[in-house]
Amino acid sequence: MDCYTANWNPLGDSAFYRKYELYSMDWDLKEELRDCLVAAAPYGGPIALLRNPWRKEKAASVRPVLEIYSASGLPLASLLWKSGPVVSLGWSAEEELLCVQEDGVVLVYGLHGDFRRHFSMGNEVLQNRVLDARIFHTEFGSGVAILTGAHRFTLSANVGDLKLRRMPEVPGLQSAPSCWTTLCQDRVAHILLAVGPDLYLLDHATCSAVTPPGLAPGVSSFLQMAVSFTYRHLALFTDTGYIWMGTASLKEKLCEFNCNIRAPPKQMVWCSRPRSKERAVVVAWERRLMVVGDAPESIQFVLDEDSYLVPELDGVRIFSRSTHEFLHEVPVASEEIFKIASMAPGALLLEAQKEYEKESQKADEYLREIQELGQLTQAVQQCIEAAGHEHRPDMQKSLLRAASFGKCFLDRFPPDSFVRMCQDLRVLNAIRDYHIGIPLTYSQYKQLTIQVLLDRLVLRRLYPLAIQICEYLRLPEVQGVSRILAHWACYKVQQKDVSDEDVARAINQKLGDTPGVSYSDIAARAYGCGRTELAIKLLEYEPRSGEQVPLLLKMKRSKLALSKAIESGDTDLVFTVLLHLKNELNRGDFFMTLRNQPMALSLYRQFCKHQELETLKDLYNQDDNHQELGSFHIRASYAAEERIEGRVAALQSAADAFYKAKNEFAAKATEDQMRLLRLQRRLEDELGGHFVDLSLHDTVTTLVLGGHSKRAEQLARDFRIPDKRLWWLKLTALADLEDWEELEKFSKSKKSPIGYLPFVEICMKQHNKYEAKKYASRVGPEQKVKALLLVGDVAQAADVAIEHRNEAELTLVLSHCTGATDAATADKIQRARAQAQKK
Amino acid sequence: MAFPHRPDAPELPDFSMLKRLARDQLIYLHLLEQLPGKKDLFIEADLMSPLDRIANVSILKQHEVDKLYKVENKPAVSSSEQLCFLVRPRIKNMRYVASLVNADKLAGRTRKYKVIFSPQKFHACEMVLEEEGVYGDVSCDEWAFSLLPLDVDLLSMELPEFFRDYFLEGDQRWINTVAQALHLLSTLYGPFPNCYGIGRCTKMSYELWRKLEEEEDGETKGRRPEIGHVFLLDRDVDFVTALCSQVVYEGLVDDTFRVKCGSVDFGPEVTSSDRSLKVLLNAEDKVFNEIRNEHFSNVFGFLSQKARNLQAQYDRRRGMDIKQMKNFVSQELKGLKQEHRLLSVHIGACESIMKKKTKQDFQELIKTEHALLEGFNIRESTSYIEEHIDRQVSPIESLRLMCLLSITENGLIPKDYRSLKTQYLQSYGPEHLLTFSNLRRAGLLTEQAPGDTLTAVESKVSKLVTDKAAGKITDAFSSLAKRSNFRAISKKLNLIPRVDGEYDLKVPRDMAYVFSGAYVPLSCRLIEQVLERRSWQGLDEVVRLLNCNELAFTDVTKEDKASSESLRLIMVVFLGGCTFSEISALRFLGREKGYRFIFLTTAVTNSARLMEAMSEVKA
Repeated sequence: MDCYTANWNPLGDSAFYRKYELYSMDWDLKEELRDCLVAAAPYGGPIALLRNPWRKEKAASVRPVLEIYSASGLPLASLLWKSGPVVSLGWSAEEELLCVQEDGVVLVYGLHGDFRRHFSMGNEVLQNRVLDARIFHTEFGSGVAILTGAHRFTLSANVGDLKLRRMPEVPGLQSAPSCWTTLCQDRVAHILLAVGPDLYLLDHATCSAVTPPGLAPGVSSFLQMAVSFTYRHLALFTDTGYIWMGTASLKEKLCEFNCNIRAPPKQMVWCSRPRSKERAVVVAWERRLMVVGDAPESIQFVLDEDSYLVPELDGVRIFSRSTHEFLHEVPVASEEIFKIASMAPGALLLEAQKEYEKESQKADEYLREIQELGQLTQAVQQCIEAAGHEHRPDMQKSLLRAASFGKCFLDRFPPDSFVRMCQDLRVLNAIRDYHIGIPLTYSQYKQLTIQVLLDRLVLRRLYPLAIQICEYLRLPEVQGVSRILAHWACYKVQQKDVSDEDVARAINQKLGDTPGVSYSDIAARAYGCGRTELAIKLLEYEPRSGEQVPLLLKMKRSKLALSKAIESGDTDLVFTVLLHLKNELNRGDFFMTLRNQPMALSLYRQFCKHQELETLKDLYNQDDNHQELGSFHIRASYAAEERIEGRVAALQSAADAFYKAKNEFAAKATEDQMRLLRLQRRLEDELGGHFVDLSLHDTVTTLVLGGHSKRAEQLARDFRIPDKRLWWLKLTALADLEDWEELEKFSKSKKSPIGYLPFVEICMKQHNKYEAKKYASRVGPEQKVKALLLVGDVAQAADVAIEHRNEAELTLVLSHCTGATDAATADKIQRARAQAQKK
Repeated sequence: MAFPHRPDAPELPDFSMLKRLARDQLIYLHLLEQLPGKKDLFIEADLMSPLDRIANVSILKQHEVDKLYKVENKPAVSSSEQLCFLVRPRIKNMRYVASLVNADKLAGRTRKYKVIFSPQKFHACEMVLEEEGVYGDVSCDEWAFSLLPLDVDLLSMELPEFFRDYFLEGDQRWINTVAQALHLLSTLYGPFPNCYGIGRCTKMSYELWRKLEEEEDGETKGRRPEIGHVFLLDRDVDFVTALCSQVVYEGLVDDTFRVKCGSVDFGPEVTSSDRSLKVLLNAEDKVFNEIRNEHFSNVFGFLSQKARNLQAQYDRRRGMDIKQMKNFVSQELKGLKQEHRLLSVHIGACESIMKKKTKQDFQELIKTEHALLEGFNIRESTSYIEEHIDRQVSPIESLRLMCLLSITENGLIPKDYRSLKTQYLQSYGPEHLLTFSNLRRAGLLTEQAPGDTLTAVESKVSKLVTDKAAGKITDAFSSLAKRSNFRAISKKLNLIPRVDGEYDLKVPRDMAYVFSGAYVPLSCRLIEQVLERRSWQGLDEVVRLLNCNELAFTDVTKEDKASSESLRLIMVVFLGGCTFSEISALRFLGREKGYRFIFLTTAVTNSARLMEAMSEVKA
């Protein structure tokens, strides 16, 4: 391991920087990088090159070519650029390529060169042309900042939700700034620009001159500025070859360095690790790369080739025509273990494990040494952590082996950190593979999260790998496998050369009933690609019929949507479709559709009953549902109409409808009601009082109570009121009037069809025992006992009962015998009973 | 008296959780979080009692509800800046809200409006708001409160309109609500391993419920079932039971005083004071709990016995020394006083019931009902009904008897059908023409089909109706299919017990005791039979007679996870309402067999409520 630290370069006393190769590039570039517009996405993202961007000729052969490569140089897309001249390229956080044209139009392309959309940066930009543009990332997404020919800035902090902001003018600005950058502070994007020896900060409304604290004198111009990945730090490169490093707020200086090179650097980027105290920037010239920080000496590299720097969260990627390298500060854990002559516990553990493999007793010595200091846990942790930061699998393995070895001597070491690191490294090694070409470091991977990584794999159409990772990490299906399968299916439906049948079958075969897969989403995508038939086929696989409906409606398959909605049992959904249909179809067709769907029909009827009465009528008419139509008019006759004539007219319509419905009973009843209504009106006119809307029975009763007996009789005859009812009616009315004389007369008018017991009852109800007794004598033999008991003549009741020899009646009388007064009667009954039993 | 449960009877699950859930949802999701600050609350009348059981006024006041209003058809005078409406999803209510908002707009006032729909929001309601032009001014929310525990074994959805909406109008909007409620129960109390059901609505609800469970698979998986069986049935499977006069105490109280949301208002005639008294009727009322399931003829005797016991307990204090007395006062007296108070309430109620029931010739009425159930002296019963109508005794009662006659006799003979209807219209007004049309549609009051000529068509139709392509059949046809076949069913299931001698109502032999020994409730008998067989096997003929071919289902899973205790817990779901008599009958069955029943109903109902739901009254 002596040579392991050979590529470590110290910067000052406390930090080492190392540079290692990620890939040797697979691309076969003819041009130099300097002849291209270059953009590389962070987090090991793809690289976009626009060749010949500055040629203005129209000839097809020299048209610019846009090429997209993976980080390992595998070609992903290549297309001829047919739009306007491009000023700048950049990648959004979603790995979409933004191409800023001279006229301020931004074209958005996918990873595979598929055109997505475009948007304009506004009229001002169009008029003054774009001089320079930057794509930057904030917590809200990706933004675009533009410097126009009029030396004004326009920016949008989030291209997903485009809101253009024109920054204020810099007073007296005559020429383009020598350099500028976007800053992001307090969730607001600012612009920092340098004009000659002055720095200006532009925010929403103001332009303010700023001075970095502790800036060396003699600066007449700033040549380059760099803001760190997290927007926390800022570096300025001056024409005196002096580099100022401080906070982005320009409130504090961290350090400075004088490199004595006055040539403007090609690129300058920050190279720092999260949570590290070390600050360093990497400056690149044509053939020279310099790492400078808070140290009197810098680290220098020679660049053999034209190179391009990509700032990352924890370092800098450097790629050229032939190689792709990563430069970063050596993490603490690695430093502790690998530093020459390190006695850190991790270093000892690594040694111990090596000796153990050699079957040497020294292993025990090392181990003892760690254990004596009580640092074994720490040692294991160090090894695990350091493994994460190693790029080479063999180094990862030996560190993990050491950790595993150390773990054996610990009682209670929670295994999850070890297990998780093994898993993470497996995933990382898989995606770093040359064929995949995503060179993520462990810290970047943790920052990015597995979900986003999976998204990026999906974006690269690496479905099998994504699924394997999900399965390996045992992610829940809904977040993992199903989501990826769904994406796959969405991609699949775009393959226009495969038939609908085959696509649908292939998708169903692969997806089956995987939980969390929404066939309707996939169908929506298919429809989006203009494949309606395929969409319908896919919808068939959707188990939740409710999910099928919105898309079917969108595809104008309303009737199918209606039956699906009904199948779902969700009345709201049915209703939604109904309203849709109502607007889409003409009334006749709409009603016809309803007719075949009773559930929808009843739903719509309910709605109409409350909200659209006329429609309800039309519905019944359409259906020839005369019965309901009749009911509809009846309801109208007392709910909607006030005037008698109107009500009679409504009843007439009802009667007509009932005849058509062959419901003669209802028709007749309705006609009777018309007659009654007219008559009641007349009665009100002639006699005063209230008659309208009384029932027939109540009308007659009112007449009797008012003393209009003749009228009452007439009415009873006209409407053929049965005798029984009339007798009940008169009996009740006369008793209510307490007109006993009239009642008696009435009782004698002819033989009562209801018997005389009701007379007794009603008199007793009015507490008139005297009258009651009169009628009790006329009550027929079956009810005589009851009548006598009612008037309280227990003794006579007993006599009658005995005479009848009716056991039930005897019991009844006996139950009425109370107290001493009836004792004799009770005796009599008992005796009669005894006699009857003897017989 | 008050038969105790068998010692091995399982414990009931704790349903108070449902109340807490509903309350927290209302307070924290809808009132507090979404609408901070003072606000006036408008409550729909139908929701007032259920709300009161969940969150009383003081809780609401704690959460900055300033004034409470009833949603009614007149403008409200509220000065609050925030108005909150708690309503059922009805179009009528939306109009009310819209009129209020529009009135404010005219007056140039801006306030915050929020409508909370319970138990769910319907698209039609939002439509109305949109049509009235206030959709943008009002925010809408749902309060998924669909299960109110009225008692330890009784859950009510408090949706009385379910009956009319589904069984008359064919509106299926509540089915989703039912499925959601069942789903909630299974998430809280574990899956139901055994399901049985009968009826169209039941079947649809069940299928929807299953779909919900599948969509959220995994959550309930692996949970131990708490309730071993669930039995669902539609009200229209058994109209007869619901139409009978109730004679068990709890049912009788409902028929006489109208139990509303588990409590009853006893008027001055009961309390024998000038104030009326609101009494909660549930298992916590110790006196009531002992008499609720008793035939009324026993109740009085029981109460007087109880009064004597109470007196004896009071009397004990005579021989006490000071220490015992202290004990008595501090520990027993309060309980005794409470019991005393309850006792006097129920005695008052009994007296009042007795007075009312003898007045209306209750005995005659019951006799007629029994005759109808047993199918003898039909002519006499018909004349009794006619007289009932002629004397204008009560429109609802008359209607009920007509329906009972129709269902037990497979429809009225044409002559009676016409004459009874004519008489009825003369007595109670012509608008009841619509009532009859409703009853016919629901199959409650129909005309006998002449001879057997129609049965062939019918069987065809009923086959079609049960088919998935039910679409092609108009309403008229489907009502034809609803032949009740009560007589045949009654014979098959032995619903009319053979009486040898007197039926001792004090020591009931079977569930018939809830109807004085004359009739075993059909619904309860079905449940008993199916539970015995653990399926519908062998009941094919009955199912056919009930017109429920293909609408009766059994879904039994392997019972490795269900404990034997849970298998004796049975939830019965009545779609369209259940009566207290049915509840009493099943409680009786439970005691006999060592089961415990839990009742879930769309609402507690009785004959009067059913008839009112079908009646058309002038607005």
